[in-house]
Amino acid sequence: MSVLRPLDKLPQLNTATILLVSTEEAILQQLADKMLREDCSSQLLVHLATSLPLPSNVTRPQIDLIVFVVSLHSKHSLQNVQESLCHVDARFFLGRVCFLATGAGQESHCSVHHHTILKLACTYQSPLLFTDLKTEGFLVAMAQRLVRMLQICAGHTPGVSALSLLSLQSSEIPSLEDL
Amino acid sequence: MSTQKGVKNSRARKRTSCGNVTYQIKEKPSYSGRISKHGRSNPEAYEHAKDALQEALKFFEKGPIRTSRIKNKSMEKHLKIMEKVAWIDGLAPEEIDVLLNVALSGKFGNAVNTRIFKCLIPATVISGDSVVKAVSWLCVGKCSGTIKVLFLRWLVAMFDFINEKDQVNLLYGFFFALLQDDALCPYACHLLYLLTKKENVKPFRVRKLLDLQTKMGTQCHLQALLSLYKFFVPTLISVSLPIRRKIYFKNSGNLWQAALIAVRQRNTEPSPLSLKLPLGSAKVRSLKRKWNSDSIIPMPNSSSYDKECGKKEISLSDLLSNSGSFPVEQLHNLPQLLENIHCLELPSQMGSILNNSLLLHYINCIRDESVLLRFYHWLSQLLQEECLWYKVNNYEWKKQFTSLLDSVIKAQCFLQEGFYSCETFLYKSLPLWDGLCCRSQFLQLVSWIPFSNFSELKPLVFDHLASLFFTSTIYFKCSLLQCLRELLQNWLLQLSMDIHMKPMLSSPLKTTLGESMKSVSKLIHYVSWLSTNGLRLENNSIFLLHFILDFYEKVCDICINYNLPLVVLVSPGVFYPALFSLDSSILNQLCYIMHRYRKNLTAAKKNELVKKAKSQFNFSNKIYREFNHYLTAMIGCLWTSKSFQKCFYHDIIDLDARLLEEAGITEYRSSLNLVHHPALFSYAVSFLLQEWPEARTIKLSAIRGKKWNWYLDYLFSEGLQGLKIFLRHSIHHSASDE
Repeated sequence: MSVLRPLDKLPQLNTATILLVSTEEAILQQLADKMLREDCSSQLLVHLATSLPLPSNVTRPQIDLIVFVVSLHSKHSLQNVQESLCHVDARFFLGRVCFLATGAGQESHCSVHHHTILKLACTYQSPLLFTDLKTEGFLVAMAQRLVRMLQICAGHTPGVSALSLLSLQSSEIPSLEDL
Repeated sequence: MSTQKGVKNSRARKRTSCGNVTYQIKEKPSYSGRISKHGRSNPEAYEHAKDALQEALKFFEKGPIRTSRIKNKSMEKHLKIMEKVAWIDGLAPEEIDVLLNVALSGKFGNAVNTRIFKCLIPATVISGDSVVKAVSWLCVGKCSGTIKVLFLRWLVAMFDFINEKDQVNLLYGFFFALLQDDALCPYACHLLYLLTKKENVKPFRVRKLLDLQTKMGTQCHLQALLSLYKFFVPTLISVSLPIRRKIYFKNSGNLWQAALIAVRQRNTEPSPLSLKLPLGSAKVRSLKRKWNSDSIIPMPNSSSYDKECGKKEISLSDLLSNSGSFPVEQLHNLPQLLENIHCLELPSQMGSILNNSLLLHYINCIRDESVLLRFYHWLSQLLQEECLWYKVNNYEWKKQFTSLLDSVIKAQCFLQEGFYSCETFLYKSLPLWDGLCCRSQFLQLVSWIPFSNFSELKPLVFDHLASLFFTSTIYFKCSLLQCLRELLQNWLLQLSMDIHMKPMLSSPLKTTLGESMKSVSKLIHYVSWLSTNGLRLENNSIFLLHFILDFYEKVCDICINYNLPLVVLVSPGVFYPALFSLDSSILNQLCYIMHRYRKNLTAAKKNELVKKAKSQFNFSNKIYREFNHYLTAMIGCLWTSKSFQKCFYHDIIDLDARLLEEAGITEYRSSLNLVHHPALFSYAVSFLLQEWPEARTIKLSAIRGKKWNWYLDYLFSEGLQGLKIFLRHSIHHSASDE
């Protein structure tokens, strides 16, 4: 199957799995390291990929959260994410997808406009987080936030689901007509 | 002659103490490239360069020589020397004067003139005379359009460093005439924006500006100037302009950006002239601590004082031109300020008021808005261009940035009002903020956002904060709640001041009281939405609940403490977790809050204000009904008198009594009373142990009748004062109701 579906496998006990997708492999590796170092009651599994679809001959656990990392300094990374999005099942967008825009700080280096990435996140109705993953402090902060989101998406926070978290954040996501 | 010498001496001193600066600047990546390009390779060569600079100046003053080959070579040499000195130490006022003359007189070509302009970096200040002379060159018409543009941009970038701004202001009419030129218009606008005083706003200028706007369409820079005019003389301008102030001017000084930072740092070095200000927060600056202290914020110095110190003797003309003004450097204490308040000369660099509480007092009580505007402009530029939070990867830079924000926050607290520059800074940076970097500074800035329409602020501020709130740690949640509590308090104070001022002065907020109250209640509802969901996410954490109830302690007392007609009840999502909490202090706090609500509601009923505007504020019976509902739930829960038993479970938990009985739970009716409540359970046990130490078995149900009253006294003696007040008032009333 080339299309990635949520909830197509039985969840493993106390395990939360995140998939990070980006062309910037070095950054992903660092982010993954920082996430695994976070103090967390569930067992974390971090999968890295440069693009989707994932190879079908490998067995992998159910994926709880997909994070698309877009570097605002490279048009290629945006294009890669846009192409990968075709291989994600629609049900993933009920709170299990998140966009991460890195490098927003250095405006002069940006080749992808804020507006473009905002529009992308709007189209897919998913939260968009800005950060600068090249800076250690920001990397740690982002890893922390992602782990919290992942725990909710994996259902390890009682009373809150991925969809309810999305609806809490959705007041921030402007409608497409506004853009 | 004596002037020359004085200045030279001071320059020599500057140079010797400068060694450290250049070295430290190199560590900062943001402009290390440019500095190191001109860095001094060895000190001897540099000494030589200083002498060579004088030669270069002479060369430029003489004008071009005809023989082209030699000319090019020596010119290149001289230019290089000049650039080197300018970038490292800056140029003295006389040197700038000479070079300005050269650049604008059209002796050389455009390329050379541009290079000269780029290195016109002041060592300390620029004299007003030079500017006046330079402007006179513009009138001769010997320089090209691009040089004119460059000159204006240079003026805007260097505005802070120009002494004797009054002299420049005399040329207001001239600069205004430059608006006609399409290429010069944006820069001229920016300069005028900085230069305008109230007396400069004239009807004919307003007409001209409006004409220009109809001709060129709505341009950002024209709008900026118009809104400034409107600010000074609202009666003259009837066109509507955007209400929310924003940043009109893009960074035009980036040519000199790196150099300016270096100049600012140089100017903040300790000099014998700058005296300590006892009331202010001015710290003793040592070279070692320079980076830690707020080196971006300049020290106060006024133009006339510099001159006097350079000269030693004061000529008559100087005395006359000063017209008895009192320089800031001599201002040391409050009595001095009070004596000289009519003739105080403000520092040439507005930023210096930030660290000086006397000057803050001063700008707080004078009517001159141009002072505040200059200050806002300085702060906006600083926050917008130099201090973006995401540059904070460098440790030193971060320290400097936080200390700047701290000073700003301190000044805001001192004046008890938010600066609008900070507001715009927040709007710009909150969407990109990660919630960790400079957290306490950012949140404090948020708490000083001036009162405005909540719906307008929501997409700019509160939506971003909510998104951070839901994905961040519990510590962030608590800090945010605390910050929102302070914001609410600041808003309420502002509004309660406003309501009392109203008879004398029309409200600057241009909203009715009803609208303001609506905005405040929206803020409270927003916080209750955050709290309810935050409790869900954090599994009803007691720590979080404390901060939430702290917020409601402010909310419940709005009517009495601030005399504002507003009561917003605690939301069910907060009330019930607090009521069923396992922590006695939470229960205690809730009791206190409910007691204050009762006081406020009864006060509101009596209050004339409410009676007058009853229809508008909708103090309907609904809110009283809701409160009574909460009250019966609490009494029914804690006190268990027969009349409340029924309604308790049926109202809160819709559970069939038969089910409970079938499950073998017979005592459910009293299972949340003062003895059995999980938060108070341990108190009951220790009460029994204390009273009957010999008892083999402990029977909680034994606490009744007389013992019940003893138990209550025991609870109150353990510090549960909120519970005490609540029970004293509620039980007494309900008993008399029966």
